[in-house]
Amino acid sequence: MTPTVVNGELHEPARARLDASLFLLVLLAALGLRCYTLAPRPMHADEANQAVKLGQLLEQGRYVFDAADHHGPTLYYFGLIPAWLRGQATLAALDETTVRLTPAIAGVVAVALLWLLVRPWGRWPAFLAAGLLAVSPAAVYYSRYFIQETLLVTFTLGALVVGQRWWRTGRLGWAAATGVCLGLMLATKASALVYALVAVLALAASGASGRSARPLGAAAGTALAFALVVVGLFYSSFGRNPAGLSAAVHSIGLMTVKATAGLTGHEKPWWYYASLFVWHRNGLLWDQSLFLLPALAGGVLALRRRGLPRFLALNTAVIAVIFSLAPYKTPWQVVGIIPGLCALAALALTRLRWLVAAPLVLAMLLELGWQMRRAVFSKPADERNPFAYVHSSPDVKKVPAIAAAAPAGAIKVISAEYWPLPWYLRHRPDTGYWTEPPADCDAALIFVDAAQAGTVRERLKGKYWEGFLGLRPGFMLVVFEQEDK
Amino acid sequence: MIRRLLPLTLVFLAASALSAQDLVPIPLELPKPLFVGTPVPFKVPNLEKASTTKRPPFLAPAGTVNLAKGKPVTASDAFPVIGELGFVTDGEKDGTEGTFVEFGPDLQWVQIDLGETDSLYAIVVWHFHAQARVYHNVIVQVSDDPAFKTGVTTLFNNDYDNSAKMGVGKDPSYIETSEGRLIDAKGARARYVRLYSNGNTTSDLNHYVEVEVYGKK
Repeated sequence: MTPTVVNGELHEPARARLDASLFLLVLLAALGLRCYTLAPRPMHADEANQAVKLGQLLEQGRYVFDAADHHGPTLYYFGLIPAWLRGQATLAALDETTVRLTPAIAGVVAVALLWLLVRPWGRWPAFLAAGLLAVSPAAVYYSRYFIQETLLVTFTLGALVVGQRWWRTGRLGWAAATGVCLGLMLATKASALVYALVAVLALAASGASGRSARPLGAAAGTALAFALVVVGLFYSSFGRNPAGLSAAVHSIGLMTVKATAGLTGHEKPWWYYASLFVWHRNGLLWDQSLFLLPALAGGVLALRRRGLPRFLALNTAVIAVIFSLAPYKTPWQVVGIIPGLCALAALALTRLRWLVAAPLVLAMLLELGWQMRRAVFSKPADERNPFAYVHSSPDVKKVPAIAAAAPAGAIKVISAEYWPLPWYLRHRPDTGYWTEPPADCDAALIFVDAAQAGTVRERLKGKYWEGFLGLRPGFMLVVFEQEDK
Repeated sequence: MIRRLLPLTLVFLAASALSAQDLVPIPLELPKPLFVGTPVPFKVPNLEKASTTKRPPFLAPAGTVNLAKGKPVTASDAFPVIGELGFVTDGEKDGTEGTFVEFGPDLQWVQIDLGETDSLYAIVVWHFHAQARVYHNVIVQVSDDPAFKTGVTTLFNNDYDNSAKMGVGKDPSYIETSEGRLIDAKGARARYVRLYSNGNTTSDLNHYVEVEVYGKK
């Protein structure tokens, strides 16, 4: 057996074992935080909307890319895997845990990929960067959220990791893998184009050396070809909907208008993303300064170091600036810069002496852990939680029980906005949805937005019990349950 | 007689068979849900401003005052998430941060000790009025027993499905406004007032800005 310590230094097998242990520890933490009790948080309107689309794909094998209101197809196609593994074959059989497992597993893979990306800096920067991403409040929160952001982050990190290997070896296999990751990015969200372009510019400005002497053209062509194949397969619904390809091109224009025109209702000031990290109080205290400050310091340090450090600093900074300048902002977009910030914070902290760095790292992990626990587990749907954006009220979870207790008969939902109700009523195909009151409003059970309840009440012929149900903060539904049936 | 009834019975049976055969579920086509983008943040003013009329004055015997002001408060959770129990009777009703107490999820109660048994005429409760919301399972009781095991009078109960396991209530749910909810105490005599709630239409938390108990010593 090889000795583990020779003259006070770790021998190679022992180093490998330590590396593997640390890597496993971080991955287990990431897995636990991302997969523990996925079901209790009420479904956000966007999650419900996409889960119903997944259910249709699962049930009917049918998916058509919608450029107007939805992002790319990867979320739905990858969402099939946990559904198959858990034996859920219909929309009605799907549950919250199944749909949220897709981004959760993607979030764990992202942690592993960041570790691989930063490993050339050494064991401790890699361990720390991955550890920070494992507990980052935004990264954990949106890894448990059935939307595209975490998948985009994972595919982007995947592209960087395999691109890094192609850079060193020049092997066409790595170029092809980079193309596949790029294709997956583009098939996830139109904003992937921004990530890809910024990455190319940051690479050009990074002064990176050590590239293989093999010709660039063949590698670029291979990567592009694989990217186009992946994009083509997903957007065309694997050949079943060729029109999805032109819709995908159209979605780039739509995204640009959406992000810049200021007409969506999601417009926010330029400092919005920065404000998610700094001390603020809205009844509850939110702060990630102990993480943000080392990350900024790491950014300054990294700019002075050619190669990966400068690349990550430029890439993260430019994406943060672009997203901050665009009027359209939603908090989940912030996850795009979290891996970069984690790597930069790790770079800064591991430059310090152990005696200084250790307490700082401990304080940072404690703060992030506390904030993550509050955002993810204590107040996941609280309107004061900066990540619970326009979130559904816990009341919506009562809908299946209300529907089960109601007299037999059809259900009518009459509301200007009604998501996530179609998810909670997925077991009831006898449910109809109207945005305005129809001439005949009567049904065994009716959900009406409070603003239209008066009109519906006037049109009802039967006798009803009335109650209130919250859809989301400030938006209430009046529930009419027929009594005389 | 049988001869007369027989044809009638046959006609009835035939008609029944025919109608049973004809009755089929109507092919009801219900509209499917539309897929939409992320909902935008909804900012509604306090619905009290949008309501049509102001509450009419509540009439009570001369000399009726708020007996709850500054009186001690206890609760199902002695350590609220936000605020202090004293906020419930401190006379501060504007509903901003620092004027309300917040309790965790599930059924929670606050209790006011009036110090002595008094005649009570009205109880006014403000849960939270910075946003349009409805609180669930609002139950208001009075008693001379601080444990509320004996001599309990229920003045208000809108727990329609008995989820609080304290009996089905027939009182209506209501939207919180800055006017608060006035509950007629009908001259009940009691020392303690207890108010229950079980989350609201925005969150599963429970809040109190203020509770006033109008009565006479």
